Amino acid sequence: MSAIIISTLMSGILLGALYALMASGLSLIWTTLGVFNFAHGALMMIGAFVAWTVSEAMGLGIVAGLIAGLGVTAILGIVIEFLLIRPFYSKPNVLLITTMTTLAAMIILEKSAQMIWGARLKQLPRMIEGDVSVLGAVISAQEALIIVLAPLVLIALWQFTSRTTVGRSLRAVGQNQDAAALIGINVPMTFALAFGLGAALAGLSGILLGSIRFITPGLGAEPLVKAMIVVIFGGLGSLGATAGAAFVIGMTEAFLILVVGLYWTPFLLFVFLIAVLVFRPTGLFGKV
Amino acid sequence: MKRNLFLVLSLAVLLLVPLFVLDSFTRHLFILAFIYAIIASNWDISLGYCGVFNFGHMTFFATGVYTTAVMAKTFGINPWLAIPMGGATAALVALIISAPVARLKGIYVVLVTFAFSQLALQLILSQSQITGGAEGMVRIPSLSIGDYKFTRDYKLGYYYAALGLLTCSTIFLLWLSQSPFGKSLQAVRDNEDYARARGISITRQRVLALVLSAVFTGIAGGFFAVYLRVASPEVLSFSTLSLALSMVLIGGAGTVIGPIIAAFVLIFATEAMAGIRGMEEMRFIIVAVGMIFVLRFTPGGLVKLVSGKRT
Repeated sequence: MSAIIISTLMSGILLGALYALMASGLSLIWTTLGVFNFAHGALMMIGAFVAWTVSEAMGLGIVAGLIAGLGVTAILGIVIEFLLIRPFYSKPNVLLITTMTTLAAMIILEKSAQMIWGARLKQLPRMIEGDVSVLGAVISAQEALIIVLAPLVLIALWQFTSRTTVGRSLRAVGQNQDAAALIGINVPMTFALAFGLGAALAGLSGILLGSIRFITPGLGAEPLVKAMIVVIFGGLGSLGATAGAAFVIGMTEAFLILVVGLYWTPFLLFVFLIAVLVFRPTGLFGKV
Repeated sequence: MKRNLFLVLSLAVLLLVPLFVLDSFTRHLFILAFIYAIIASNWDISLGYCGVFNFGHMTFFATGVYTTAVMAKTFGINPWLAIPMGGATAALVALIISAPVARLKGIYVVLVTFAFSQLALQLILSQSQITGGAEGMVRIPSLSIGDYKFTRDYKLGYYYAALGLLTCSTIFLLWLSQSPFGKSLQAVRDNEDYARARGISITRQRVLALVLSAVFTGIAGGFFAVYLRVASPEVLSFSTLSLALSMVLIGGAGTVIGPIIAAFVLIFATEAMAGIRGMEEMRFIIVAVGMIFVLRFTPGGLVKLVSGKRT
């Protein structure tokens, strides 16, 4: 019995780590630009496919694949910002318009992937082989890597946005665009940087996901919804709240799967979320 | 008045179309256009008129599709009764989702409605013993009056039934948009504080807008299921969502006629593209790019561009 609890706990932590990584990119873009990037899931998928192409189809190895995946998603992020976000900043209903343009970007990326890579299932090789035993529960070394890597990336991101000048300028622009411009921050450049970084985070989550699941053009769709649940639940305001919410959702999901089964879990998760929203309309930790 | 004349003339033309269009594929496109026109123009009640950032409108359509499919096929209820049931359950689903939505603001409305449609999809996929899962439901009973099957005479019955449904929906929308209630919805959209000061309940108007937008959408969903004889989770896919959304946008949010015209143009354009080899996926990219261009260059939609009206 305790073995089941521990393995459920481990899968909860794994889910939480993945969700935290996905949601951090969304949260970064939201706090800096005030835009919700619906193409986030599609960028995850592109990251995984590019990594697969470079490491498997071209045979250059997983490290090259990882670099290529991150590079391509970062560039795509900057392109999306330039073409689909930047022209609409001054519009009063920028939120609604960018929702639609990023939704359009999602369709374009997903359908392009379908045409380029086809519908056949692909999988990335594991970065490390073997299994790891934690308190009697066995998980693959790849999953353990994700559990360790995700918090490290989040800490690095947190250090970046709170310690470095460039990182702080992201937050400054997020808090007050005009004041940031007045003290000499290049606002358009910062927007591009935030979007590129957020997209690269999507790419990283996609590559990690692609090493434990099959890569399909729809790879990002279901995780996007989970990441959305995380950010609704945690509020979009801060990185810490988003990461906390990710682990709460991951853990809840893992235990719900244990108790009510895989079929009813998404449904109950959503009922739980609605209940939270009815009583706390800005999310559990949020204050927008 | 000019608009009403245009509508009556269009209706007259559409009534006569089957005299000239005799092949069943072109009629099929007309029927699809009628159905999508209902979806898009009703979506506009919440999105365009009331300013509720509702991205879960296809959930109401899917609710209609699956209610009618289950009622007609599993329980053997006459399709004529099963189709309006789709409207009723869609309104009920809209009422449920409006509970959190009416209290939320901005991006959270987008997120909740979007997540809601995705969870509806998950539910449909997982409850395969009821819904048929990813394969969907097939061989749903079709419409007939007495011995006359609606598929006969190159879908003549379906053509007029769909046109009748669109006419009812459009009359309802025109009445709604000109009624004091419709005006109050626009007040909620344009100036929330002022609307509240004039004694309009923001929450209640949002709930009503969502529920009313679901009624004809759900009925159209039921009709869609009976017409195609198939209920498939495809109705909740991103492709279908973007197609319907682009109709609202390209036609012009906040107008009744715009989305209807856009539905005709887009259905015929995308289906024509589907006929060209290698364009099956490409056509959705073209629609998405078109959506971006409209947002960028003619924010009011193409109808406002043509009529030159600024409202």
